[in-house]
Amino acid sequence: MAEPWVPRRLRLVAAVLAGFYVLAVWLDAAGNGAADQVLPLPVRFFVQEAALFPHAARDIIEWRAQAWFCDAGHFEELDVRPYFPIRADDKESRFYRAMFFHLHQRKVLAALDRFIAREQNRAHPEARIGGVMLLSLRIPIPPPGTPEARYQRLPLADYPAAVERHYWYVTDKGEREQRCADQQADSP
Amino acid sequence: MRRPPRSVTPLDRVRSWLEAPQPIERLELIRIVAPLVLLAFLSTRLIHADHWLSPIGFRVPYLGGHDWRQPLYLPPVSPKVAWMIAVLTTLSGLCLSAGLFTRLAAGAFAILLAYLALADRLEAFTVSKLGPMIALALCLSPCGARYGLDAWRRHRRHPEVPLPTHVPGGVIRYFQIFLAAMYSGAGIAKLRGDWLSGDVLWSHLHDNYQTAISWFLVRSVPGWAWQALQYLSLTFEVAAPLWFVLPWTRRPAVVVALSMHAMIGLMFGPVIWFALLMSTLLVGCYAPERWLLRAFRRGQQEQATGQEGVAVRQR
Repeated sequence: MAEPWVPRRLRLVAAVLAGFYVLAVWLDAAGNGAADQVLPLPVRFFVQEAALFPHAARDIIEWRAQAWFCDAGHFEELDVRPYFPIRADDKESRFYRAMFFHLHQRKVLAALDRFIAREQNRAHPEARIGGVMLLSLRIPIPPPGTPEARYQRLPLADYPAAVERHYWYVTDKGEREQRCADQQADSP
Repeated sequence: MRRPPRSVTPLDRVRSWLEAPQPIERLELIRIVAPLVLLAFLSTRLIHADHWLSPIGFRVPYLGGHDWRQPLYLPPVSPKVAWMIAVLTTLSGLCLSAGLFTRLAAGAFAILLAYLALADRLEAFTVSKLGPMIALALCLSPCGARYGLDAWRRHRRHPEVPLPTHVPGGVIRYFQIFLAAMYSGAGIAKLRGDWLSGDVLWSHLHDNYQTAISWFLVRSVPGWAWQALQYLSLTFEVAAPLWFVLPWTRRPAVVVALSMHAMIGLMFGPVIWFALLMSTLLVGCYAPERWLLRAFRRGQQEQATGQEGVAVRQR
């Protein structure tokens, strides 16, 4: 038999901790708040892992951005996927995740606005932007058994009016103008 | 006068169940496959390590320390350090899988995985949370005693020492109990959610997780069948501890769970890594001993045949 390298006493401690961990995972998934009350946030994070997909999705949520193009002087859709290259095409993208978790936190959305503007203006100095509108689309899910087209990402303009749009963040007008003016001053 | 035999207490029974030796193949299967699955899951992130961990990519600012969306704020690192973390994570995972410097690799892998899960909530998923726990359990276990490079080197140095066939049961029992608790917790969460009356499965098949297979199923499976699948999942998950404890339901439970994970993996795009990780634990913990032994022996026989072939060609 392969001999354990961990001393017996440490094995006992590990066994007790393992027992608490399993219990915490189970209690958390079962909806008991005990783990939430006892464990500090970083530890609690690691036990919140079993309650997967408990609810039905009501709509398909798409997160999008529209940007204020300084030269054109209006908002247009901006494809932000190149600036979030990790799993850019699905909902594990950082843009999707940031919007999903922080849609009510202006501090994060403002940071997202600054990041998108920085990246766009660096990558495309010929199409500079002063700010963004961050929005979600709620695409209805058909009833079970209904034949439907395969999922594909459409440009914002191609979605019918029935698809609900919700704007979560818009860069302040003053800030937009200031950014566009700064960029104009910086350009040769 | 003879002493009466000491009665066996329930605690003794539990202890002997926990400590009963287990075939080494159970542990080594998890040690070989789980790090590879974890690395495969991480691969789409590791190749963009600078976008992930450094200020080159978008980083959520500090939220004050009391926000569930940011369990621990770890400031971004420089792009160079981000790449170093990516390389170390890959190397430690590969070493663990190959059984090279196994204990050290498992410890390093556990720490790096925990760091990656906490450093950025946006890229943390269930697999990210399971990873450190699995690597830590492997680190504390005697894994790598066989079917790895450490074991091979040890055997070359001391060919007279027989290869271990079993490991102390603790770590396998831990994984077994964890799996049963995970399924059961997941089942209860679903029961408290919409799985009894809502169209949960159907509703998750339409967004950008959709695969060619899920689209095919959306078009060909009748509406009522999705509800039936929900009931089957609920029945399996809620009572998982029972199915795995009873010897006559264990094998069907393994088959149902593997089928469930196969469906999840095929229908929900990137969730395939979660499905593979759970399947690895499941097979390592509950697959019949005979299947595992056969799989490992076949692997060894093929290896031996290959070595003989090389020797013949060299002669």
